[in-house]
Amino acid sequence: MSVLKIKQETLTAWVSELIKKTCLYAVQAKADKFDFELLEDAHALRLDYDVSNIPPKKYFQPPVEELLRFNEQEFKTTVDDSPFVLFGVHPYDVNAISQMDKLFALGNKDVHYLTRRQNSTIVACDVENASQNVFSGCLGFATADEGFDILLTKINGGYLVDSRTEKGQALLKHLPAAAEKATAADLEERETVWQNNIKLLQKHKLKARPEAVTAALDKAYNNPLWEERAARCFSCGSCNLVCPTCYCFDVQDDVNWDLKSGLRYRCWDGCMLQDFATVAGDHNFRKNKADRYRHRYYRKGKYVPEKIGVFSCVGCGRCISACVTHIANPVEVFNKIMEDV
Amino acid sequence: MSKPRVAIFDFACCEGCQLQIVNLEEEILNVLDVIQPVEWREAMSEQSEEYDIAIVEGSITRAEDEERIKTIRKQAKILIALGACATIGGLNKLKNLFPLDDVKEAVYGKHAHMPHLNTAATKAVDEVVRVDYYVHGCPIDKREFTYILRCLVLGKKPVIPSYPVCVECKKNGNICRFEYNEICLGPITRAGCGAKCPSNGAWCFGCRGLVDDPNVNAAQDVMDTYGKTVDDLKAKIMLFNIQQEQADG
Amino acid sequence: MCNNGKKDIYLPEFATVLKNESMTETENYFELKLSSGKDLGHMPGQFAEISIPGIGEAPISISSSPTKNGSFEMVVRKAGNVTNALHSVEAGKKIGIRGPFGTTFPVDTVMKEKDILFICGGIGLVPLRSAINYCLDNRSDYGNVTILSGTKTPAERLFTDELVQWQNREDVTLLETVDYADDAWKGNVGVITTLIPKINIDPAQTITLICGPPIMYKFVLLELMKHSIDHGKVYVSLERHMKCGVGKCGHCQINGLYACQDGPVFKYADIAQVKEAI
Repeated sequence: MSVLKIKQETLTAWVSELIKKTCLYAVQAKADKFDFELLEDAHALRLDYDVSNIPPKKYFQPPVEELLRFNEQEFKTTVDDSPFVLFGVHPYDVNAISQMDKLFALGNKDVHYLTRRQNSTIVACDVENASQNVFSGCLGFATADEGFDILLTKINGGYLVDSRTEKGQALLKHLPAAAEKATAADLEERETVWQNNIKLLQKHKLKARPEAVTAALDKAYNNPLWEERAARCFSCGSCNLVCPTCYCFDVQDDVNWDLKSGLRYRCWDGCMLQDFATVAGDHNFRKNKADRYRHRYYRKGKYVPEKIGVFSCVGCGRCISACVTHIANPVEVFNKIMEDV
Repeated sequence: MSKPRVAIFDFACCEGCQLQIVNLEEEILNVLDVIQPVEWREAMSEQSEEYDIAIVEGSITRAEDEERIKTIRKQAKILIALGACATIGGLNKLKNLFPLDDVKEAVYGKHAHMPHLNTAATKAVDEVVRVDYYVHGCPIDKREFTYILRCLVLGKKPVIPSYPVCVECKKNGNICRFEYNEICLGPITRAGCGAKCPSNGAWCFGCRGLVDDPNVNAAQDVMDTYGKTVDDLKAKIMLFNIQQEQADG
Repeated sequence: MCNNGKKDIYLPEFATVLKNESMTETENYFELKLSSGKDLGHMPGQFAEISIPGIGEAPISISSSPTKNGSFEMVVRKAGNVTNALHSVEAGKKIGIRGPFGTTFPVDTVMKEKDILFICGGIGLVPLRSAINYCLDNRSDYGNVTILSGTKTPAERLFTDELVQWQNREDVTLLETVDYADDAWKGNVGVITTLIPKINIDPAQTITLICGPPIMYKFVLLELMKHSIDHGKVYVSLERHMKCGVGKCGHCQINGLYACQDGPVFKYADIAQVKEAI
């Protein structure tokens, strides 16, 4: 499948066609920031965004998600298999989604996540404007080579459209006009965009490769920084909830007014929240803020990487922006523990 | 299963939380499917001294109110505090910041010292009697109220968040109020309202009370970061959480 | 169980409550049978998620040995919404169940031919009973069987009929203790570690299985180490909040391990260095 080149107007016309045919979520302005929302007007698409307020994980693992319904006779799975297109996903988020794909399929397959994922088409987009806290370039997540169906890259005179899958090809059928093929020079320009993004998306600089972080964590368990930094922690879970690789959840039931039928749902949870590790009888296995704070960084830097072989912070920087006490910068944490080794 | 007999009482309050129950509109019929109201001054004329569940709105501000709530407590198997005035004292506690005589004179002028206007420091219901369940908020959230009601009829302890409002803000995709240079009490306030105020363009006023383990020191640190003072923060906290603010200094 | 041929790991099936009997003030005994008629298919040490529709789910360890066919048993302490509700489910009614989940005591592998030492604190007897009865039902496969069981008070003793049976068997050594005796109690008084010096342990031949409240493990292990017992010959069952049971929700994590998948049964040698474990 060759890479195509289209003008901005063609892109807008293409998206206009797509939103007539399918449910398309795309990045749009939200106050002076950006977020993924249902796109109703192709002109509202903002591929020049820096970072979305909430990561696109919300479409695969919604904040509140029905798992099943029950009545006195049966439990019945609820699976949402409606197709949708996610348009304009940045490479760090693509990498995060690829990690979630692995984790939700590892061992026991999560049919709720995987069904949404199978019915989604991901149109990725290389970053045009770096957000103030992005550091994906330090982690190898400034670009993505897989995990999407189409990759868009802005170059002089338009966008390169690189379709990699059948789902991607299906979307290209709605291109309003025959698109020209990208030239060798265009592809070279794209290569330059990638190389530049690796450098530009380093607003915070990790002192070493992520593998060094994983190694340093082996010796950092009793580092005083956990206590020091957690002293300012609200246990508000903001860093968890805006993280594209946090997927922990709580499960609750609610009943209808007949008190017999109802539904079971899961909702976003966070290991920073006070009661996260509490068992029945109220024993809390991680009752200190510092223990919870440390757990989060170990998950990103060690526990999940040891499970799936990939560093589990993608460097989107959302936690840095979301933490009102400014203790959630992973680069500060990881650099400090590497210094102290 | 016979329906539990429910009585709704009001003390010092605006009755807005009971109004939220009335505002359930058609859903009130569902409520009547699972409970039997036996006393509810705002909505019915009958009265009864036999009830299983007492729902109490308002704070306790007079000696005779203390006696009345104690009587209700004795009668009820389950006592629910309804709304911020009942759960944390709420706005009514602002009174406690001033000498009582000044307060009375400000409100009642020359009649301030008539015996039936006598008043004491405001107390939340659980400062006088044991409370089994709390429906937080000013006003209460209808959805949470009906959830709690269904839980109690089922014999289930309702799951009320112990975490801060920030969680619900993030679930709603809100942009943090601190980004708008506002002081928001979300990080120290108990969630469960669905982050209503931040989702509708305001900061969190703290009407559901503080979380179990609020990090007030961190809240003070945040003020520096955003160019605010600790007094700015205190002023915000005091609106609904006088007692906590005083206890924490 | 299926959606488009795909199994939903969160979907319970029904089980019928055959018996629900009070055992102590806070614990009830349940005998359950899957509505499908099939056996649960568990091995000793595993747990299942019990559902009371509308109330929620809770992880409960399975107390019967898989050598018992047709039904399975659980002992449930009233500790939260689901367990409270479960206590009032009448025989004949249905509840939801998912599982079995988790790792098992190595009854068919490393335990074979070995002396087995069971150390049970309080309701820690519940999951260990599955392994105990498995060993007793295959008695010739194992060497000496020793059971140490302790509760806070005599009133909290579980499976008292079975304790008598075990006591009366010549091929089982059972030692019991209580932290606080009452007037009727004639046995040992003291925490469970006080029983360990009373028994003969051949460290090379003995596999030890431990389950009890969180606080118990550290002290029991210290006492065992005095007998030069190898960390690789000790198995512990750890309690955490196994909410989903399938290694996704994150609540039961012990550092990088998931208690619901990597546990609840761990070889002590594998977790001795895991900080959050014990």
